Parts: sequence; structure tokens; C-alpha cells
Amino acid sequence: MLKNYFKTAWRSFWKHRATGFINIAGLSVGMASAVFIFIWVQNEYGFDKSQLDSQQIYRIKDYLSIDKSTTWVWESSPYSLGEEAKRQIPEVEALTRVQVVTYQPLYFNINGEFFPETTAAYVDNAWFDVFKNDFLSGNAIAFKQNPFSIILSESKAKKYFANQDAIGKIIRIDSVDYQVQAVVKDAPANSSFKFGVFIPVAARHADVKQKENELQWGNFNYLTFLKLKPGTDIKKTSVKLQNILDKHRDQKNLKIGLIKLTDMHFENDLQDSGIIHGDKKVVLIFVILGVLLLVIACINYVNLTTARASLRAKEVSIKKIVGAGRRQLFAQFIAESALISILALVLTIFIISIFLPVFNSFTERNFSLSANSSNLWLIMIGTLLVTVILNSIYPALLLSSFKPLNTFRGTSVLKMNDSMLRKGLVVLQFTFSIFLIVGVITIYRQLSFIRSQNPGYNRAQTMSFSVPWKTMHQLNDAKRKAVKSTIKQSLLQQAPIQAVSLIGLRSIQNNDNYSSGSADWDGRPKGFDPAISYFSVDRDYSKLVKLNFIVGRWFLDGKSDVHNAILNETAAKELNLHKPYIGQRFVSDGDTGVVIGMVKDFNYRTMHDKIGPVVFKNKNTEYNTNYLLKVAPNKQAEAIKAVEAIWKQNFPGLPFNYSFLDQEFDKIYRNDAKSSRLMSVFALVAVVISCLGLFGLAAFTAEQRGKEIGIRKVLGATVSGIVSLISVDFIVLVIVALVLASPLAWWLMNIWLQNFVYRVEMQWWVFLLAGIIAVLIAFLTISFQAIKAALANPVKSLRSE
Amino acid sequence: MIKITNLEKFYRTEEVETIALNKLSMHVNTGEFVAIMGPSGCGKSTLLNILGMLDDPDEGSYVFNEIEVAHFNERKRADLRKHNIGFVFQSFNLIDELTVFENVELPLIYTGVPTAERVKRVEEVLDKMQIMHRRNHYPQQLSGGQQQRVAIARAVVNKPKLILADEPTGNLDSSNGNDVMELLTDLNEQGTTIIMVTHSEHDARYSHRIIRLLDGQTVMENIMV
Ligand SMILES: Nc1ncnc2c1ncn2[C@@H]1O[C@H](COP(=O)(O)OP(=O)(O)O)[C@@H](O)[C@H]1O
Ligand SMILES: [Mg+2]
Repeated sequence: MLKNYFKTAWRSFWKHRATGFINIAGLSVGMASAVFIFIWVQNEYGFDKSQLDSQQIYRIKDYLSIDKSTTWVWESSPYSLGEEAKRQIPEVEALTRVQVVTYQPLYFNINGEFFPETTAAYVDNAWFDVFKNDFLSGNAIAFKQNPFSIILSESKAKKYFANQDAIGKIIRIDSVDYQVQAVVKDAPANSSFKFGVFIPVAARHADVKQKENELQWGNFNYLTFLKLKPGTDIKKTSVKLQNILDKHRDQKNLKIGLIKLTDMHFENDLQDSGIIHGDKKVVLIFVILGVLLLVIACINYVNLTTARASLRAKEVSIKKIVGAGRRQLFAQFIAESALISILALVLTIFIISIFLPVFNSFTERNFSLSANSSNLWLIMIGTLLVTVILNSIYPALLLSSFKPLNTFRGTSVLKMNDSMLRKGLVVLQFTFSIFLIVGVITIYRQLSFIRSQNPGYNRAQTMSFSVPWKTMHQLNDAKRKAVKSTIKQSLLQQAPIQAVSLIGLRSIQNNDNYSSGSADWDGRPKGFDPAISYFSVDRDYSKLVKLNFIVGRWFLDGKSDVHNAILNETAAKELNLHKPYIGQRFVSDGDTGVVIGMVKDFNYRTMHDKIGPVVFKNKNTEYNTNYLLKVAPNKQAEAIKAVEAIWKQNFPGLPFNYSFLDQEFDKIYRNDAKSSRLMSVFALVAVVISCLGLFGLAAFTAEQRGKEIGIRKVLGATVSGIVSLISVDFIVLVIVALVLASPLAWWLMNIWLQNFVYRVEMQWWVFLLAGIIAVLIAFLTISFQAIKAALANPVKSLRSE
Repeated sequence: MIKITNLEKFYRTEEVETIALNKLSMHVNTGEFVAIMGPSGCGKSTLLNILGMLDDPDEGSYVFNEIEVAHFNERKRADLRKHNIGFVFQSFNLIDELTVFENVELPLIYTGVPTAERVKRVEEVLDKMQIMHRRNHYPQQLSGGQQQRVAIARAVVNKPKLILADEPTGNLDSSNGNDVMELLTDLNEQGTTIIMVTHSEHDARYSHRIIRLLDGQTVMENIMV
């Protein structure tokens, strides 16, 4: 029986293969998108769950109350807290700590060549006992015994040592040699610990001063994991931890908590984190998107199948008369949809294998399409099942419910509401597509709005680098100043470099440093300590960055202005400075001067953040270690070479690292650019699928109305008249979809825009544009069929009736 | 085999109500060959459809093999139908996507006959209808006469006790028509009861008895000799 079902299904597919291929193409695009989304979603939900004993492992979490309304939540704890917990709390079975290297990369020196390494972590001796790692070669024993050891992940070993055996190789970090002791498999996609390099904590503690520092109870440097006995009462353990901490700290402003390893991925209250986290809301949005993409792909099948139902009525009726039961017919139509869906799955697997690398680089995970990635296959099978169900239920019900006699009498087998349903589904498809188109336009507008903000300098021509902190720190103040000034002078002598400024900010584009409590001015209410961002610059800063003065002036040469301050507008407003601003007393960090100028607000943080009070100071402190260079147009390569040469003279043997501000800018808005790309892909997929469906329906309509079109032509209808005759019904649907999509898109895109403090407004013309795009695409799709029908020889279509 | 009494069937459209069968009574014995004649629109097809349990009457009784079936639900009717009744139509009603063999095989599939048995029985009946050599052709590749033979083969492959034929020769030329009538006569001689609607006095002569209908009522019965 089953064989018979599939045989008929295949014949019926082959007979209507044009429709069949439309179905398969649309389905596979939808299924592939859905599978990709679900792989990612499944991975998000499965984070750290495959870790051995994951249900028993907890991480210590600290809640530091700053004032009544602010609590800072930290993921790291004092090194000693773990130590004491292990000693004093009986339910702690195991303890392990890690310090993730996040602030600055480690520089690997391998045979004299420098590599910045950003995936390193310092782990204690128990790490490889608590967390499962597959050792490809070597083991953890030597790693535990020798502080200057390194364990590499497989991909890092390949990166640094290509095909050679990495074991025993030497890597120099800051003049200390480390030996590679083992190579472990890369962390799976669902692991929070994507470390490529492991170094023993003992290596940090080999430096006595550093060790002393890190063992202090006020230093929160280590993610501390406790493996607790099964059945432990977490609340009681937290109290015990709290008691230990409180015994060692004078201030009692810190509350201890425990978070389960498997809950860590969606932990969203941290102030800062060294590991990747997910966002449940985003995951939910993707689940919805995935389901919707699958649904709109299935709509094509349902629409094209039910549209052709009348053509199949005869077959169904005969089968009923010769004895087919409703259940058997039902099964047959399920088989047909299953056949199409399975063919689509084959194409889906093909699409997935092609786009998997793109997907991996986009999601920054490493998923693979191997036979043993059972999750992936489960997702595929699940998607297939859902597809078959979505596809077949309605057509199968409809077709198997035919009354055979009605068919032979020629009365319409399809009720009115059936074609209404079909129209409704097309509207749904286009509502979704138009919504996504509006999304693409809105995100694009916001991103170009961000780009269009003039920062007062040319990002592509502004270069920055920092002198090595450690080296400079060893010098006394005078010597330090001398070195920095020498470097500045030699930089200025380079032809491709037009201006140089030495500043105390790591970034002038995303400066999220601020401090409060050290500023004073006349009229400051007691206890009013707003957060202020200090721009520690030099006189030449204004040669690089154009600031717009509202009143006052820039710093003058010489010593005269070293205590004075320049404010931005917001500072003047929020600090409630007396007017006139110029000449007001302003104290910062005990340094008393006067306000000499006020500039217009400028962007020094991302557009997600509000501009706050900024104060410029012209003090060459030890923190002024960052050089900002203005490079002559198209002289970037020469500039890099020149700066590198100066670096080598001053800091031989240290890695040279620089960046251009346009690269940094791209990094800052990387996630927003990603959203934009993702939205475009989804919009494209939705539009392609919807148009495939429309194409099929238009073909069907043209075929069905062939005779009518023939007669009209004979009677003198023009080609354009006939094209519009066929198109107008469909275009109306797209317009209805536009009406439905607009409020939805308005609402949701406004929510997205709330992410930005500085943003574009939603504009009515965006909807008009999205509508025009949708109508145009739909019209092009339909007109192919409509023109074909209109150009057909009427004699032919009339004779064949 | 068949006994109907005071059978009534109405068709209601928005404005008009048509009485297709008006208190019609008749009976057919097992092994009979009955022809039903009458002008267009007098209710012949309606009657045949009710006899074939494709449709149900509004009033009256229909006893088939001593079972009252007038108010059977669709499922029960279908069950009774697929084991007992074969249909032959004027327009053949073969499935275009299936070959001759597969068309004939269809009823056996739905009554759950195992594959080997199916092949045997289909070949047997195709042989009898002399279209064995066309078994792998599709309906469009056959002449009208051949198509109707396939349809008859399909109607008889399940060995039904009753064959209902609605103008089986209506779309055929006279020589093909005669072939079909010979086939039906043969089947009847082997014991199958046949009820046939026809417009042709010539064809009606193959039957044992002619029932003439007018406006949904029996007007005359001729016994053939
Ligand atoms: N589905 C239907 N709806 C309305 N009227 C019908 C329907 N089927 C048949 N009739 C009417 O019932 C009467 C009998 O039809 P039918 O049995 O097909 O006649 P015959 O087969 O003798 O030509 C005719 O008047 C016909 O118009
Ligand atoms: Mg008739």
C-alpha cells in the first residue's frame, strides 16, 4: 500500500513538475533557514549541559551594593574565597578557578615573531579534573607540575605550529618561556569556555608581588567554580560562603550568590564578563522567525496543492467509487506531501552544507554536518515532520472530503472559503516579507545615521597606538616624560604623519570610562557627585579632532593651562555651573583651575549610550600613553612602517600593535551591522519564498483562465489589458499585506530603535518604499506568467477546451 | 437482490426544488440483466447512483441483499459498495496518471488483496477483456472502445455481484458498442447481476427486462424474450 502511495505521489509530482519544483525550491529555502535557526537555538539552550556533572557545578557570584539604587554584579571572586570554601565547606567536592584574559591580548613570541592571543585563560590545577577536555596529545600532569606550561586547543596548535607536533614547543610571553605540554580538542559549540590557550595560575603566582596582590580579599579576579555534592542546599552553601567572605572583609556591602553552570549562559545581570552569554529574548525572537519562515514556505505547498484540487477531483472521485476509503485517500495526500518534503530535505542538506561555513563564521560557533552530530539530524527530522504536517493536513482534508457525485456533475468542488483561505495565506506571506523589508530599511537608516555623524576627524586617516605600560611604569616620572616626548618628536618628523597627540584615553570613539566624586566647583550642592568622563589630552589634540567651541578657547602653549578645564555642553548643563561658564573655578582630582572653554557635544561613546558630561584636561600624566596620529591621505601603509620603525628603536623586542579608527568603529557597531545583515538575509528568504508561491499561483490562474483570455483576445483585448486582468487580484493582496504589516513593523522597529539613544525616527515613506518594493517584486513575478498567457495564440487555448 | 419501495429524491437549489425520483418502486433479482430507459432528465442516473450507494435517498426504502441500506452512513455504504458493486460509466472515468494495469488493480488495493493475488487477478481479467497487450499503456493512448473495456475490467476485477452501467456505449461507435454489450452479456451469463442505463433500444435488447422511467416514476416494464 505504502509503495503504491509513493508511486502515485511520484507520478503526480512528475506530471506537475513545474509546480513541484517551485514547491521544493521554496520549501528547501525555508527549511534550510529554519534548520540553521534551530541549530543555533538548540545550542543556546544547551549551553554547558553536555559538561560532565553539569548539574552539580556552580559559580560564585557577587552583588556589590554601590548606593541605594545601584548594585554591581560580578562574575569573579577573590582567589582566596575558593580556597577557604574548599577547606571549610564539606559539601564542596571540588574547586577550580579561571582568570580569563580579556583586557589586553597576550603577545606570543614564537621564534621572534609576535602573535596577539585573545583566547587565553589562566586555570588552576583542578581545571582539567572538573571540566572534561579531550586530550589529543600530552596530558595535564606536566601542566600541573610546571608553572610555565601551556595547553593549546587543536586549532591554536594548528595555527601556531601548523602540522608539526606542538608538544615541547616553546612560546615566550613577556620574556618568560612557556612549554606546550598538551593539545586538547576545541571546545564544543555549546561550551562557555572557548579558550584556545591554557596557562597555569601558578605562572602568575610565580611573581611574588603579583601573588600577594591576587591573594588579597579585595581582589576579585577569578571565576570560581564549586562542584557540590548532589542534593546540596544552595542557599545554605551561599550563607557559608558569605560568612567566610565577611570574616575577611571589613566592608559588609557584598552579597554572595551561586549560579548553576547550566544557567550561566543566559546570565544577564553582570556588569562585565569574560565569557560569551546569550539573551533569552533574542533566542525567542529567533524561534518565532524560524517557525514563521517554515510556515510561509509551507504555505506555498498548501496553496499550490489546493489550487489544483479541482484538477484532481476526478481522480479522487474515481478512487472513492472503486472503493477507496477517506483514510486511504488521506494517507495518499500525506504521502505526496511527504515525498515533496523529503525531496526538499535533500536539497536542504545540500544548501546547509554549502552555507555552513558562512553560518559558523556569522554565529562564531563551529557546528558541523557530520553523521554523528545527532542534534543536527534530530533538528532536520523534526523540521521535516513539522513541514509534512503543515503541508499536508489541509490539502489532505480538503481532497479526501470530495463527494464523488458532485465532481461528475461538474458542480464546484471547492467552496468559496477555500480561495479566501488561499488569499489569506498569501497575505500572511507578504505581511511577513514586508515587515522584514521595513526592518531592513530601518536598520539601514539607523546605521547610516550613525555613520553620517561627523566625529570631527577622518577615521580612516586617524591611527592610534599605545606605549607599553609595563616598560614605562619602570621609569621615573621625568624619564617617562622624556621618552614620550622623544617619540612624539620623531613621529612628527615622519612625512606621512601630519599631527600627533598624546592622550590618556584608550578610545575616543567608545570611551566608557568615567569617575565621580573628585570634582568640585562653585555652587555644587553637597553630595552631588555626577559621573564625569575626563579627556586627558595635550595641546595638539585640537589639531587632530575638530571641536566646536560655543564660548572660550582651547589650551594655550606652555604651562599656563595645565590646571584648567574645557567642558562640553552637557557638563555645563548637568553640573549646573554658574554663568558665565568661562572663568568658573573647577577642581578635579585635587587639581584646581578654571573653565576656559565650552564645546558642543560630540560623540565619544556609541550611539546606544547617552552623551554625558565631559571635561578636557591638559595634563601630561603617567596615564597618557596613547598616541593619536593624523595620517596624510592615502599614506596609511607608509605611516605604519614609519611608526613601527620608531617603535623598534624605543621598545626592541616588544610587539607593535596599532589600529585605525575606522576599524575600531566597525568593531563597535559589529553587532548592529550583524543585525542588519541577518535582517537582509531573512527578508530575502521570505521574499523569495513568497514570490515562488505567487509565481505558481499566477501560472495556475493563467492556465485556468486560458479560455477566457483566448476569448477576450479574439474580442480585441490588448496584452497589457490581459496582464493587468491577471495581476490586479494579486497586487491587491500585496497591498492588504502592506496595510497589515505597517503597524506591526512600526511597533517592533520602534522597540529596536530604543536600543539607541541617538536614533532616526520611523518615517511614513519607509512603509511606502517597502510597499513599492513588494508590489514591484510581486508584479514582476506575476507578469512573467501573465505576459506568457497574454501572448499565447488564442486559437490554441480555445481549441483545447 | 434489490428491492426499492417508494423511493424519493429531491434536489434543492436556491429557488427550485426538483423531484428526481417520485415514489419509485422496483426490484431486481439476482442474475438479472435489467435495462433502464427514459428521456434525458427523468432520473435514470439518480436512480443508478442510489442503487450504487453513491448517494442516499430522501424517502423510501432500499433493501440490498436483504439489508436495509437507505440510511447507512457513508462509511458503511462505501464498505458494502467496494465488495459488491462495480461501476461502468459513459465517460469511462479512468485515472489518467495510472496505466491500464494500475487502473484495474485499484479496487483490489482498496479491498486489501495481497500483491501476488492482485497481479494474478488483474492479468486474468485483462486477458478476458483482450487488452493484455495494452497493460502498460496510459488511458490517453487507447481508443474509446479499449478504454471502456479497461473500465469494465476494473468494474469486474473484484468479482462484484452487481454491475451498474450508466450509458456504457454512449461514447462509442456501434461496433465498439456491440463488443461492450457482448462483454456484459457474458458477465451476466456467468452470474453477475447487471443494471444498465441506456438510450439505445438496440442495446436494451441484450437485457432481460426494460424499465422505462418518466419524471422519476416507472411507466412501463417490458419483459424481453
Ligand atoms: N446535483 C443536482 N442538483 C440539482 N438537480 C439535479 C442534480 N442532479 C440531477 N438533477 C436533476 O434531477 C433530474 C434527474 O436527473 P438525472 O438523474 O441525471 O437524469 P437522467 O440521468 O435521466 O438524464 C433532472 O431534472 C436533473 O436536472
Ligand atoms: Mg444520466
